[in-house]
Amino acid sequence: MEEKFVFDSKKRWVLGSGMILGLLCMLITFFKDDELHTRFWTNYLHNTVFFVGIALMSLFILAAFTTAFAGWSTLIKRVWEAYALFLVPGLVLLLVLIIGVWGHWHHLYHWADAEAVKTDKVMFGKSGFLNKYWYTFGTIIVVGAWIYFAQRIRKYSVEEDANGPGEDFSYHRKIRTLSVIFLPIAGFSSAAMVWQWVMSLDAHWYSTLFAWYSGSSWFLAAIALTILLIIYLKAQGYMPKVTANHLHDLGKYLFGISVFWTYLWFSQYMLIWYANVGEETIYFRERLDNYKPLFFLNLLFNFVAPFFVLMRNDTKRKVGTMVFASIVVFVGHWLDFFLMVKPGARLTALEAMAHHAGEVHDAASHGSGLPFAMGFSFPGLLELGTMFGFLCLFLYMAFTQLAKASLVPKNDPYLEESLHHHVV
Amino acid sequence: MSVVVSPIREPLIEGGKTYHQITEDICSPTEKAPNFAWVLAFTLSSIFLGLFLFTVAWTIWFGIGTWNLNRTIGWGWDITNFVWWIGIGHAGTLISAILLLFRQRWRTGVNRAAEAMTIFAVMCAGQFPLIHMGRLWLAFFIFPYPNTRGPLWVNFNSPLLWDVFAISTYFTVSVLFWYTGLVPDLATLRDRSKGIRRKLYNIFSFGWTGAAKHWQRFESLSLVLAGLSTPLVLSVHTIVSFDFATSVIPGWHTTIFPPYFVAGAIFSGFAMVQTLMLITRKVLKLEEYITLQHIDSMNKVILVTGTIVGVAYLTELFIAWYSGYLYEQYAFYNRVLGPYWWSYVGMMACNVLSPQVFWSRKIRRSITWTFAMSIFVNIGMWFERFVIIATTLARDYLPSSWSYYVPTWVEIGIFLGTLGLFFTLFLIFTRVAPVVAVAEVKSILKAAGDQYTGPNAAKHHHHHTAVAAQTGAH
Repeated sequence: MEEKFVFDSKKRWVLGSGMILGLLCMLITFFKDDELHTRFWTNYLHNTVFFVGIALMSLFILAAFTTAFAGWSTLIKRVWEAYALFLVPGLVLLLVLIIGVWGHWHHLYHWADAEAVKTDKVMFGKSGFLNKYWYTFGTIIVVGAWIYFAQRIRKYSVEEDANGPGEDFSYHRKIRTLSVIFLPIAGFSSAAMVWQWVMSLDAHWYSTLFAWYSGSSWFLAAIALTILLIIYLKAQGYMPKVTANHLHDLGKYLFGISVFWTYLWFSQYMLIWYANVGEETIYFRERLDNYKPLFFLNLLFNFVAPFFVLMRNDTKRKVGTMVFASIVVFVGHWLDFFLMVKPGARLTALEAMAHHAGEVHDAASHGSGLPFAMGFSFPGLLELGTMFGFLCLFLYMAFTQLAKASLVPKNDPYLEESLHHHVV
Repeated sequence: MSVVVSPIREPLIEGGKTYHQITEDICSPTEKAPNFAWVLAFTLSSIFLGLFLFTVAWTIWFGIGTWNLNRTIGWGWDITNFVWWIGIGHAGTLISAILLLFRQRWRTGVNRAAEAMTIFAVMCAGQFPLIHMGRLWLAFFIFPYPNTRGPLWVNFNSPLLWDVFAISTYFTVSVLFWYTGLVPDLATLRDRSKGIRRKLYNIFSFGWTGAAKHWQRFESLSLVLAGLSTPLVLSVHTIVSFDFATSVIPGWHTTIFPPYFVAGAIFSGFAMVQTLMLITRKVLKLEEYITLQHIDSMNKVILVTGTIVGVAYLTELFIAWYSGYLYEQYAFYNRVLGPYWWSYVGMMACNVLSPQVFWSRKIRRSITWTFAMSIFVNIGMWFERFVIIATTLARDYLPSSWSYYVPTWVEIGIFLGTLGLFFTLFLIFTRVAPVVAVAEVKSILKAAGDQYTGPNAAKHHHHHTAVAAQTGAH
């Protein structure tokens, strides 16, 4: 059952070139940028948060499936283990943002501007949470804890390969214990971090649903990337035992959670629209005024497309439709995060620049009628290139991990169930 | 049908049952005279049902003024009870639909009773909006139909109307789902009975013969209904949460309400399933079908959903502070430290803190603990709705209209009365239909019966893994 993945030089070369392309795009963005390098930094934040989230959700999937005694997914769990370990480079990427907050390299967060906080009553009220100490130590401690769980789960999983399932499946039981402890920690801490990293970009705005909404977005991106990687690996001749049945179940997740994401999207939008409280509606007003195409593409890519493509049974079992749906959903949720990150950060930067120029402009005020700006109003080629670079980095790290252990966790107690998995 | 089952899984059917024994064990309670425990329980429930009828008649005769609602607190125990019952009515369809889609085998032991419970709970819930109308005879006004009252239509913008649609749809589909599952079992009962019973079961089993075509249609229909019910499970409590969240009342208007209400509903529903199943398995001697493994699994669901609810409580509390919105902050200050602080403490203690004992496997598998916890959770979830409704209303925007509310004996009587209605219906159900889905339990016997998967089973399923373990060791 042993199956070795070889991370050969061709793959390294392709992914390495992709990373260089991404770096090149980032450099071009940086030098073509405004004085605060807003486009560069928002792209950096957007992709860092997006891929860190995918890694987190891969760990979450692993932990949730282990806790729920899922048997079918054993054959593909090595993919999630590899994805989850991207948290390590992810923390490095986040550290750059943290140092940036301290060193005033970027002007992403309105609350990081001490002058603005002094005069702004709302931000002053939040400064107990929105401050650089929380941002720094919260990120390091929380992501550090996630890394701990990712590495321990991986460690026992690989040791199980080498040493057998152990007496009374001791390795599996250890993994289960870790998974169970991780789940509530992930539940609380991911919310706190996404408030810090993303929701605080619109420093005045708040929504209790935001953490679950963005979490479901990450989850779908992780599932979509899993499907794509598995199909790629199968095309390379790996994972011969992974069948249409496994694909089918992954497709169900892609479909079901897409509907769930839509449910959360609707809940958040509808309640804010219905109650019509100015402090809350501003978030959607801004996006409908200045980001209309993205606003609707978000729904098209993340609801309409997966809903209609994956509704039928057979489309979840076919490679072509699954690749199509996964790419659409992956790009869709990347756009979703684009829409969460850019508008708030853009207003913050505009205000800061106006302030430098001596004009009075408030980031919290209604920014309607912003001119079209590539990279903000709509992702340009540089954004796509940057995303591609991050994706190649993510896959490079994942392939490195995949090559370190057998693709089949041969002593997992659920392996036989996964090998004989049939969706009826 | 042979399936591969991991040796790490525990059996779901104990006692080395054969197919015939399963039929005997589950069908026989409906064929014998009820035992003393049942008669006692039924008498007690009927008395409470009588109380329900009396207090409802009192309300209708004398009007809503017999309740202690006042100008500030317009929703008190009535809507609290309504939401509480609706929440309880979530576990059944979750178990039957979502767990069917997830192919969870343990659902077969408990789905039938849980679905029945769902239906009865929704019936109890439905009483409250109806009697709250005051003029019950005009209840049909809630339906939008071309009418003779001039251009007087229902308010389509109101979440209260959406409730009418959501709950009636949910009720209909739940009944269909439950009944579909019952058909093969009713046919089994028919085949075992004589005389008038046989005639009745023949009618209710729709001439089921167990033909392959019947089974094929049965399975397609089950899947279609599962697909339909899954969004319905979410929609019902989502729309109930809209009753509050679409308002501009601080403490009610918050975006997390829909999924958090759904999680809370599943939480309370499972608690009620535990309460009922622990009694049922004992009284009807079904311990080998509703095993400790089932109780363990349901306790895990209670732990998970309780913790999700806990995340939501803390999120609300934190974001209220974070919002920088004075009224929002005050609403939560009042919720925790205001005149109704005790109900907040009750809610937190019963819903978030106490379920944490289920981290211990020993406690998850203890009948006493589980039973006590299931009651705790039921109380806690009642408090949650009371906290949201009465506490929030008691301190509104105008300090001059602040008020305090305690129920009258009529309101308490109606609530206790719905418990009577609920248990009376459930007890009748245990007499006329198999409380465990006979056909479905049989379908998992070879995958989860202890003579096939338990420690004393013939080891052929373990073969592959054992070989894999050996090769791994070399």
